Amino acid sequence: MLQHFQFFPILCLYWASGFQFAFADEKIDFNRDVRPILSDKCLTCHGADPKHVEAGLRLDLSESAFAKLESSKQAIVPNHPDDSELIRRIRLPANDELRMPPVRSHKNLSSAEIEILERWIAQGAEYKKHWAFVPPVRPSVPPASQQWSVNDIDALVFAKLKSQSLSPSPEATRETLIRRASLDLTGLPPSVVEVEAFVKDSRPTSIAYEKVIDRLLTSPRYAERMTMWWLDGARYADSNGFQSDDQRFMHGWRDWVLNAFDKNMPFDQFTVEQLAGDLLPEATLEQKIATGFNRNNRQNSEGGLIAEEWRIEGVIDRVEATSAVWMALTMGCARCHDHKYDPISQKEMYQFFSYFNNVPESGVASAGNTAPLIQTPGPMDVAKLKELDAAITSAQQSVQDAEGVLIPAAAEWATNIGPKLLQSTNRWRVLDGELASNGGSKLKMQADGTIQVSGKTPALDVYSLSHKATQPKKVTAIQLEAIPHASLAANGFGRKGNGNIVLGEVEAEMTTASAPDTVVPVKIAKAFADYSQANWNISASIDGNPATGWALDGLDPSKQVTRHAVFVFSEPIALDTGSRLTIRLKQESLSNHNLGLFRLSATDESEISEAILSPLPEPLVAAILVPAENRSEEQKKSIVDYYRTLSESPVARATATREAAKKTKADFERSIPTVMVMQETPQPRDCFVLVRGQYDKPGEKVTASLPSALPPLPNGAPNNRLGVAKWLVDPSHPLTARVQVNRYWELLFGTGIVKSSENFGMQSQFPSHPELLDWLATEYIRLGWDTKAMLKTILMSATYRQSSNVTPELMSRDPENRLLARGPRFRLQAELVRDNALAISGLLVEKVGGPPVRPYQPEGIWDEINVYGNLRNYKHDKDAGLYRRSMYTIWKRTSAPPNMLIFDMPGREMCVVRRSRTNTPLQALSLLNEVTYVEASRALAERMLTEGGSTGQERIRFAFQLATARKPTERELHTLLAGLERRNKSFAADPESAKKLLSVGEKKPNGDLDPLELAAYTITASVILNLDETVTKE
Amino acid sequence: MNHQNQLLHLQDVINRRSFLSNGAGGLGLAALAGLSSSDAKGDQATRNAGGLSDLPHMAAKAKRVIYLFQSGAPSQMELFDYKPTLEKYRGENLPDSIRNGQRLTGMSSGQATFPVAPSIFKFSKKGKCGADWSELMPFTGELVDELAIVRSMNTEAINHDPAITFFQTGNQLPGRPSIGSWLAYGLGSENQDLPAYVVLTSKGTGRTDDQPLYDRLWGSGFLPTQYQGVKFRNAGDPVLYLSNPPGVDRDLRRAMLDEVRDLNEQKLSHSGDPEITTRIAQYEMAFRMQTSVPELANVKSEPQHILDLYGPEVNMPGKYAANCLLARRLAERGVRFIQLFHMGWDHHGNLPNALRGQCKDTDQPTAALIQDLKQHGLLDDTLIIWGGEFGRTVYTQGALTESYGRDHHPRCFSLFLAGGGIKPGVTHGETDDYCYNIVKDSVHVRDLHATILHQLGIDHERFTYPFNGLDAKLTGVEPARVVTEILA
Repeated sequence: MLQHFQFFPILCLYWASGFQFAFADEKIDFNRDVRPILSDKCLTCHGADPKHVEAGLRLDLSESAFAKLESSKQAIVPNHPDDSELIRRIRLPANDELRMPPVRSHKNLSSAEIEILERWIAQGAEYKKHWAFVPPVRPSVPPASQQWSVNDIDALVFAKLKSQSLSPSPEATRETLIRRASLDLTGLPPSVVEVEAFVKDSRPTSIAYEKVIDRLLTSPRYAERMTMWWLDGARYADSNGFQSDDQRFMHGWRDWVLNAFDKNMPFDQFTVEQLAGDLLPEATLEQKIATGFNRNNRQNSEGGLIAEEWRIEGVIDRVEATSAVWMALTMGCARCHDHKYDPISQKEMYQFFSYFNNVPESGVASAGNTAPLIQTPGPMDVAKLKELDAAITSAQQSVQDAEGVLIPAAAEWATNIGPKLLQSTNRWRVLDGELASNGGSKLKMQADGTIQVSGKTPALDVYSLSHKATQPKKVTAIQLEAIPHASLAANGFGRKGNGNIVLGEVEAEMTTASAPDTVVPVKIAKAFADYSQANWNISASIDGNPATGWALDGLDPSKQVTRHAVFVFSEPIALDTGSRLTIRLKQESLSNHNLGLFRLSATDESEISEAILSPLPEPLVAAILVPAENRSEEQKKSIVDYYRTLSESPVARATATREAAKKTKADFERSIPTVMVMQETPQPRDCFVLVRGQYDKPGEKVTASLPSALPPLPNGAPNNRLGVAKWLVDPSHPLTARVQVNRYWELLFGTGIVKSSENFGMQSQFPSHPELLDWLATEYIRLGWDTKAMLKTILMSATYRQSSNVTPELMSRDPENRLLARGPRFRLQAELVRDNALAISGLLVEKVGGPPVRPYQPEGIWDEINVYGNLRNYKHDKDAGLYRRSMYTIWKRTSAPPNMLIFDMPGREMCVVRRSRTNTPLQALSLLNEVTYVEASRALAERMLTEGGSTGQERIRFAFQLATARKPTERELHTLLAGLERRNKSFAADPESAKKLLSVGEKKPNGDLDPLELAAYTITASVILNLDETVTKE
Repeated sequence: MNHQNQLLHLQDVINRRSFLSNGAGGLGLAALAGLSSSDAKGDQATRNAGGLSDLPHMAAKAKRVIYLFQSGAPSQMELFDYKPTLEKYRGENLPDSIRNGQRLTGMSSGQATFPVAPSIFKFSKKGKCGADWSELMPFTGELVDELAIVRSMNTEAINHDPAITFFQTGNQLPGRPSIGSWLAYGLGSENQDLPAYVVLTSKGTGRTDDQPLYDRLWGSGFLPTQYQGVKFRNAGDPVLYLSNPPGVDRDLRRAMLDEVRDLNEQKLSHSGDPEITTRIAQYEMAFRMQTSVPELANVKSEPQHILDLYGPEVNMPGKYAANCLLARRLAERGVRFIQLFHMGWDHHGNLPNALRGQCKDTDQPTAALIQDLKQHGLLDDTLIIWGGEFGRTVYTQGALTESYGRDHHPRCFSLFLAGGGIKPGVTHGETDDYCYNIVKDSVHVRDLHATILHQLGIDHERFTYPFNGLDAKLTGVEPARVVTEILA
């Protein structure tokens, strides 16, 4: 043990400063050994940033480092460390003012780092271009080990192990192998049947194992597993992310990704369609949906925001996500200034920004999806739309047919019904006079006494009519007719808005000829109407409260008929010649609910009842009184026009049917899911370098182009987003293939060959196996970017198939397993912790894709800190939604599912390509107490009792194998059995507790089982679900 | 030493190594700083759980922070920044020379005039220091000699979400670690059984539908997730999933955990992965939290005179007063960063009434907390900060009426600090006659961050975490200075 202690501090140096293997006899490699030191400790003042080149010295360029400086010294004299000023200065004591790096930088060089720089200069100070910016070249593969090699991966790994005097671990057991591969490729454990079949397969492991891999790669679960891996980088979520954090609907895009992985879409096509599917020739709907990748960014709708500020943030987010996911570059760092480490100037950042800057968007989020968006009807939706269109066409035909019979029908109505109506003794006389609008509308009375409103459309308005009596008359009541018209909003009553109107208050007043300045209010005692919208009764128009009023359901086509309202004065008024009666219609309740066509009339009838509502206006009365054969054309027309508006007329009936059909279609169309997509404005937006990255500080104007340190656009590629996408997957691109294979490696082994999988820039960690990385990258391209084939190659390797058991010696040599002398072992990612429990317990509902679901979450989780937005009052689903895979759980960004965050799932605020992996007590509490896991424990207990055999031993073996794929050891079995027996006793003594435990969750317990026994098994199942091994891939 | 003990010992070595390495290198291997268990050797008593070995950089004045965040932006004119001269400008349009190009939010950018509104609340001189103090906060007013009032705060953001995110993380856009996470990462916890960073929230009566908060405000950003703040909930379990399921009592839980531990140890002896040791330890800490957290939340043991000090709402869970008392209990248990968020300060209209409500919620409990810490001997090493995310405009939003309101104002606002090495009884910074621009001793959000870190013994320039190839800092890349003028 003592040995470890002594050895450890020495090794520390290497681990602490990245991943370096410069042993005493080895040649120093600039990229591996020197660049990380220069980049971290020196280049801030001696690097590419023109504002910070101290003493004229740049250490990132050999020409500068080898040149005579202003001080006539030379920083680096190749082969002569002792003559090199750099070495002299870094060797000075820390308190010396000339010591480099200076104290104020807070940087220090360790003695190991100083030694590396000395040896590098002694060996000739060879500079190399940053490895990640040089296209990968297929390495020569060293001879493979005879006993331990499946493919070239193993030869490359073995060579490194040999150089470190290590040897690989033996192959994992078949149980471990199938569980490892199943979790990696599907995110779910193998079934007992699958494990048994593989264990009993008498063929050599390689052959039997390959069959397993092939089966897993065709599972729909494979697409889910790979999609959840992709979603972090895509910052996929179901809400907008800022302030009110309203819901958005991007699952159509997520389903596109599922489908792409399921069909094994080659990664180059996968790239092009997501970044620029809309720009492909004759882009399909699917290709447009794919571009949702770069619309997953957060969007703000906070009151008072400045739109352009947030539009710019959205574009920056696209640059960051695209450069991180495909190139592992941190281009966003150059937003405010030239990149401190990587060869990306601020100007180049904005040139790249320009490719993503031309989306027709405002910067302000809508609730729901924000334009540009695209409808994504499924096959069922398309069929339904066709059906609805046919219904509209047929209804339109009925309208035309009805028009054909309207004239005779109107004449018949005038003959049969008209006289009956005229028997009413009521007489309404049109009230004429001076018209006015306080909102600036134009009111004009027409020949038939109707008043048409035109001109300006104020939100609120008050109309008035001032009638001057030309002879003495009595008035007992006035009538208002609200008349719908095709020229009005939605064929209804109102001028603007949805076709409805709200009449807030009706007022009357009068003056006499003798006292024209003395205004006397006329009190309205009661009001009737032939129709009032629910909660908007006519009585509200005379209640003195302008906020309440009379409304007509005017947006409903079947209700768009002339409506009558009568306002009865409390006492009859007498108008002498020259007297004035003024009526005011106050429409101040609701914006854009103002009458567009109406008529006012007055009566002197002394008995006014609701029966008065049916009478007809005077010109029509006159027309009806004329015998049919004697009617003028105008009179016939007035009858037809009036009859047309009656709900019983064939035209009105047919029109109502047609409008209802249109509304049905419109409603259905609104219900078809949409996806936010990328589009290009016809002309690119002007694009500028933004000074200090601020939206309102444009500097130099720039146009779209690529950073000069990277290859140019491939021949023939357009200089737009499509060109960028093609450029990324051009085989000459140094980053894309390396970045992807490194992330596959990270997915499978827990750590990438380049540990900083999110950053391949100068500050990245040097690859543990540079040749292996390049072999994989070139192989991926050689395979035509075939992701399944690439993964299979890695999974088939002997490297992957090693046991993950580790000795203390190996653990101390290589705690992070960077040398790959053993197989991977690490905790499952957040989603899989839960999915795994659902699968083991048999609760998992295996439905692929679709809208998000709402599994259990703590009560009040969304509302405790937010009363804004439309994602509130979380209620969990009652059925399948409780048991779907975690990737389908609704993701509200500002209040994300806690059981995912606790297990290191990122908040999906921004692009994240590498998760942290922690081990905390909150994780233990979640697995022990959360309703999800308590219910899963009970469901597993039910499986034990119904499927697991007849004895406790058999049942424990069964559950243990479901969870870990292996059978428990005798000792493990003994431990579990003892616990089960103890709890059998304790629950038998306390049936109430058993009952309570079984009540957890929506699913009812199996009533055929003994509740006391089931409770005891539930705890045993919970023990099994809480084992380290159960939540760990090994 | 048998095989298993070797592994346990190795785990200890790795823990130390990964604390030393100051990077993401030891993730998952390290016993975790935010919520760490004692390690297997049991010698952890001599050092804080987690934390960086090179911290503190200097002698710390404060061991912990209680940040009383007043979300929504309290008005400085009515509360702290006394402007008797405003009376003569009442109703006049704010001169362009004063506004001087300040951008407006979309809420008042359409206004034709910007009528100046003096405070309708009275001020008087308080304490030996003679600070001008508003009648709205009589209780806290009795303690002005304990406070350092800063009237020259300023920020860059003009809307709530970016502004509060800026205060919490040093950046307007989400994604960076919150200040509490930085401290959990840098200094670790002084308590083995409680998180290092605890968040308590309350809704204000001044405006009940006020600005939302977001879980990310106490998130760990790019730091490992164990450093994220743990929000104590106001209903149900204070910490999520803390309670055993129905039908499972503490004895059954203990027996079950022993079984899990036994099986995990069997696995460890076979697999050799020290991560299993960590997991065993985390389960033990979870078990301890099941008693330590309810014990903490149970204020029944507090004497009546203490409860009285905090006022009538101290017994109502989820109220600011109850949270203030919890804050003291958290402080005495060694929690590093305690943050209260009180909502309801966003007063675009009906400001006078709304402010009365907010001050009634907070004044007595805030004063009680300061006094209570003092009598427990905790004020000296507990840094208290009271303030919001920006200020409010001197002009009204809409017309100047009796129920006037004010829009967002980033250029100047006020907050106060106390305890933790802060110089008591000082007022720092000055604004112009219109309370619109700072004329003396500007304090930026970054300066406040640098000052908080400084009081905890941390040089903000040297407190970094490698992210995206940069040495990321709470104070970012722009300059920041410690506000030495308010330090004792």
